[in-house]
Amino acid sequence: MTTDELQAIEVNKSVDARGTSCPGPLLAAKKAMGEINSGDVLEVLSSDEGTKKDIPKWATKKGHEYLGTIEESGFFKIYVKKG
Amino acid sequence: MEANKKMCLALFTGSVDKLTAAGVILSGAAADDMDVDIYVLLQGARAFRKDVADDATKLNMAENPEMKDEFMESLKKLNVKTWLEFFREAKSLTNVKVHICGLAGKVWGADKLEQFVDITDDIVGIGEYLTAAQEADVNLFI
Repeated sequence: MTTDELQAIEVNKSVDARGTSCPGPLLAAKKAMGEINSGDVLEVLSSDEGTKKDIPKWATKKGHEYLGTIEESGFFKIYVKKG
Repeated sequence: MEANKKMCLALFTGSVDKLTAAGVILSGAAADDMDVDIYVLLQGARAFRKDVADDATKLNMAENPEMKDEFMESLKKLNVKTWLEFFREAKSLTNVKVHICGLAGKVWGADKLEQFVDITDDIVGIGEYLTAAQEADVNLFI
């Protein structure tokens, strides 16, 4: 997805994991994923560099759809659609 | 859904740095819904004693022992959980079983389950470890 498309996407749940280090954001994503329905979109805010690769890989492995990442200043937003 | 992958961890260490690393790996396993069997061996059993586990001052560093204060402070600043919190959280998220080696417990003067932290499931012999290791997808020795 392009950044414009991501920015326009309807988010069903957002978790702010900024301020935690690995594995904080990954576990926050896992927990949040358990609270939403299939087809819902999860947004994860993270300032942990490793998360940028970690969450997309984890999401794909668990059967979810990684939609993309938006870079902000000092953090980023990762979008995943629950499978 | 296919069956969960299995991880078998032989946890020999009783050092706070290695236990923290084990906790991070355990969190990854939890995110992945793995079934985890942890076998706590010699030095590890001391760290799981109720009167030791939650008290980092009673745990040594495996490496760079002279930098323990710096290490602990850095973890705190980075908002990293304690090793025990990592283990607890992983256990709340996925199927984690903590088995204490009977001999290891006795070495540290603890041969009853209630002498260990509440995340401990049972006291076992080495045969159980080998069976779990043979069945696991991921085997680690820390």
